[in-house]
Amino acid sequence: MPFFKPKTRKRGLEAAKSDGRVPFHDYTLVFIIFALLLFGLIMLYSITSYQGQVLNDDSMFYFRNQFRYMVVGLLIMIVAAIFPYSITKRLAVPVYLASIISVLLTLTPLGYSANGATRWLDFKYFNVQPAEIVKAGVIFLTASMIDSLGHRIATWRGFLLPLVPSSFAALLIWRITRNMSSAIIVMAIVMGMLFVACPYYKRFIALGALVGGAGIYWIASTVRRAAETGVTADFRGERILAWLNPQAYADDKAYQTLQALYAIGSGGLFGKGLGQSLQKLGHVPELQNDMIFSIICEELGLFGAISLMLLYLFLILRFVMIANNTRDLYGALLVIGVLTHIAVQVILNIAVVTNTIPNTGVTLPFISYGGTSILLLLAEVGVVISVSRGIGIKKSD
Amino acid sequence: MNRKQAGRSSSSPKRKKRASRKTKRFTLKMQKKLIILFGLICLCFLILAGRLVMITRNNGIEYSMAVLSQQSYENLTLPYKRGRISDANGTILADSTLVYNVIIDSKVIGQSPYYMEPTLAAAEYLGLDKEKLRTYITEHPTSQYYIARKRVSYKDRLAYDEWINKGLEEENSKKGLLDSNKFYNNIKGIWFEQNYIRTYPSGALASDVIGFANNSNVGSYGLEEYYNDVLNGVEGRTYGYLDEARNLETTTIEAQDGNNLVLTLDGNIQSIVMRYLDAFGEEYKDNVHPGNGANNIGCIIQDVNNGNILAMGSYPGYDLSNPYDPVRLIGMPVLSETDEATDEYLTEEAVEALTEEDQNRYLNALWRNYCITDYYEPGSVIKPFTVATGLETGKVSPDDTYECEGKLLVADKTIKCHNIYGDGTLTVGEAVERSCNVALMYMAEQIGTELFTQYQKNFNFGLKTNIDLAGEARTDSMVYDADSMGPVDLATNSFGQNFNVTMIQTITGFSSLVNGGVYYEPHIVSRITSASGATVQTIQPRVLKHTISEDTCEQLKDYMVRVVEGDNGTGKSAKPAGYRIGGKTGTAETLPRNNNEYVTSFMGFAPIDHPQIAIYVVIDRPNVEQQDTARYACLLGRDILQEVLPYLNIYMTEDLTDREKAELEEKGLRDTNGLGD
Repeated sequence: MPFFKPKTRKRGLEAAKSDGRVPFHDYTLVFIIFALLLFGLIMLYSITSYQGQVLNDDSMFYFRNQFRYMVVGLLIMIVAAIFPYSITKRLAVPVYLASIISVLLTLTPLGYSANGATRWLDFKYFNVQPAEIVKAGVIFLTASMIDSLGHRIATWRGFLLPLVPSSFAALLIWRITRNMSSAIIVMAIVMGMLFVACPYYKRFIALGALVGGAGIYWIASTVRRAAETGVTADFRGERILAWLNPQAYADDKAYQTLQALYAIGSGGLFGKGLGQSLQKLGHVPELQNDMIFSIICEELGLFGAISLMLLYLFLILRFVMIANNTRDLYGALLVIGVLTHIAVQVILNIAVVTNTIPNTGVTLPFISYGGTSILLLLAEVGVVISVSRGIGIKKSD
Repeated sequence: MNRKQAGRSSSSPKRKKRASRKTKRFTLKMQKKLIILFGLICLCFLILAGRLVMITRNNGIEYSMAVLSQQSYENLTLPYKRGRISDANGTILADSTLVYNVIIDSKVIGQSPYYMEPTLAAAEYLGLDKEKLRTYITEHPTSQYYIARKRVSYKDRLAYDEWINKGLEEENSKKGLLDSNKFYNNIKGIWFEQNYIRTYPSGALASDVIGFANNSNVGSYGLEEYYNDVLNGVEGRTYGYLDEARNLETTTIEAQDGNNLVLTLDGNIQSIVMRYLDAFGEEYKDNVHPGNGANNIGCIIQDVNNGNILAMGSYPGYDLSNPYDPVRLIGMPVLSETDEATDEYLTEEAVEALTEEDQNRYLNALWRNYCITDYYEPGSVIKPFTVATGLETGKVSPDDTYECEGKLLVADKTIKCHNIYGDGTLTVGEAVERSCNVALMYMAEQIGTELFTQYQKNFNFGLKTNIDLAGEARTDSMVYDADSMGPVDLATNSFGQNFNVTMIQTITGFSSLVNGGVYYEPHIVSRITSASGATVQTIQPRVLKHTISEDTCEQLKDYMVRVVEGDNGTGKSAKPAGYRIGGKTGTAETLPRNNNEYVTSFMGFAPIDHPQIAIYVVIDRPNVEQQDTARYACLLGRDILQEVLPYLNIYMTEDLTDREKAELEEKGLRDTNGLGD
């Protein structure tokens, strides 16, 4: 426990007693973020230079795009950090509504499709993925709702109320943009926030058991149906079968997964060295997005992969510290929302790459290629910094 | 811990108060639950790290091998250019042209919605069907290698490149253009694959000699087959390999283009020959029976002083640009089970009704080079060889005389002369002039089987000439040797019956009879050059043997001039206006006998003092009423020589009659009498 209760808290409390508080700048957090961004840029360049050269005649193509988004993202982060986060409480509903509208906009000609799903909005100058906006919108709205509910969160009504708008948003993402993984992430964020806010364990354990049981039933029935009839109902069913037996679907559904496994397996303890991946030479589809972690494993080995995971863990730990040192419930809930968001994406991404769960498209935060994701993540981090500034430390003499 | 706990609890009432007043507090319970959440996250990370370790430890080697085995090493073959064939004047008869296949990569095009339209527009520029291609790309989004169009010419490719580059330059000079509004930058997934196709600018001009090669560079017939390895180059290769550091390196070995052939064949002489051969075929087409003007017509013109083939062609011919054209089969004799010609002829309907197998049988017959592959009984053109044998061996003297009564009894068998009333008393020269069979049988009797067969070998009958063309027939089983030759065989052989020869054997032997007895190996390629034009090999005339002496040669030439110029000469119609030539006619009944079907021929040389060229024309079963006359062959030979001799700068030596002058004028030829002096 003392490990998680750093001196800042004590100081913060002491500082709260006296009124001589100064804003606390969490340089550690900023350092971790910069380390992740830098690491991500280096890996992205290493991984996409070949692809960029082949497809765009420019080995810096992906690097340059990502760098631009990062610069813009950092500016947004600074603005968000300076901006008093408490104002966002009033903005929570409009932000949520805006994110819902952005999802609906994919149904208009603004929407553009790739790989058979309409997941982007095309604004000529840039593309936006509404699902990412929804994740941020849901964090704000849920934090605001739980904060307003106060102790009533302990009631069933209080527990279910925050689930209504987020479930609606998740449903929209799932049905309209056909992006089940983003819908799952949205629900996971809300559940994470509720889990911390609610004083009970039982209903979460029950819920977890229910979801787990339903999942196992679904998998079992899919496998049984496939064994009996030889066909699966839909592409998700096929993904289940491919997950259980990737070698049997090596040419089709499990191709991506298997190639990722090959990349991880061939990396060994210390990897082939930066830039030495063979799998990036056209064998791993979506390698700059969902599969980037597999190439990190191939080039930097187990050592590099686990280092990266520790870096993420350190970031999450930092968020935990900030939340636990925040007096304000709303601020702490925002931090928990961001924390859950990042943690869930990292876990799902690595789980997919290692074939621990069936294949679903989740990006690796701060590292995967993608503009909207990086902008919103940095904005969210900015909000966390803003919360951390509220902690305050005593002016040293 | 306790201290902190105490500290917190002591301060909590105060904070609670404030929180309820303004903001709610993040309670201790929540803090605990957050720690539990963090613990859960840590657990997930631990499980995933465990998975990573397991994958690396359990499947590391297996997966490393899988990765290495998938490296394609980009193994691409680069095509070489097959060598060209050009005639003595440098006119290209066969060439390989660089073309491009257009390859479409749907996967690349599918990577952005902006790519489709510009790429389709570019494909349309290359002559592709836009909508068809769109359908293909939509239906096969993962296809990376689709040959959308074959044989785009180098010129079109160049124009396309220029169009793209110009557009790119223009587009890139505009600042701030959005990706979605770019056109040239969004053309993706079209690339070109180099290829060569064989072209024959000469068409049907020298199809027998050249043969044809398919696009895999395998030659069939003629030079394309005989010199296949010379014409073909070595394929280049682009391949990758892994160096010690397991980096993928790429290396390219350029293709080596094939060598070129320069022929002794002269396209101008060849075209004169083919023009007359085709004209004859056309004129007598469907004359007596439906079908071609003759089963076969062959003509060879050879330089007697080095064995070079100046022209070689046959009727019916075919177009090298389209060798499989079945229309060319119409009019050919129907083939029996054993591929022998019958008296039936293929009609248009019959050609259409042919099975694929049968059609191939007929095509093979069409593609065959009559001049070297077909053998036949030569008839009287052999007589000069018999006389030469007699004179050279001393068994026959120029002063000998023979009595012809129209027939001769040889070993209980009566053999007729073609003049059944008898030619009376003949000298050797008169025997040749009149082409008397009886006199020749006497001479053969004087020579005897031993020497006769020996000289047949000397003149290369029964042996291959080894001309550098594919498909020369073996005739070793078609001649007699001393032991197997009976008196009747000897008698009939003396005038060219009862044994088979090929045209190339006959004319090459004949050249040695008129050039002073030097037997040159016939050949058609004079030079092999490299792709860059440097000479790799010059093929020198090759003397194989000496057949007869100069004296015998002079004597023979004299006799053969009488064939054309003598009052009783059988080849008078072969004399070209203004020239003196020598020669010999031949008329041989085909097997089975008494069918009134003949192979008629004329063999000649010019000029008579210092012979330069020999010509041999064979008409196999002309489509005429009376086949047993050499007149058709003589006229064909005359017409060809009339044009070829002036082309070779051989001037006329004789005065022209008014009729001859008129005829020459009609053909657009000049009177060259006296120009040579």
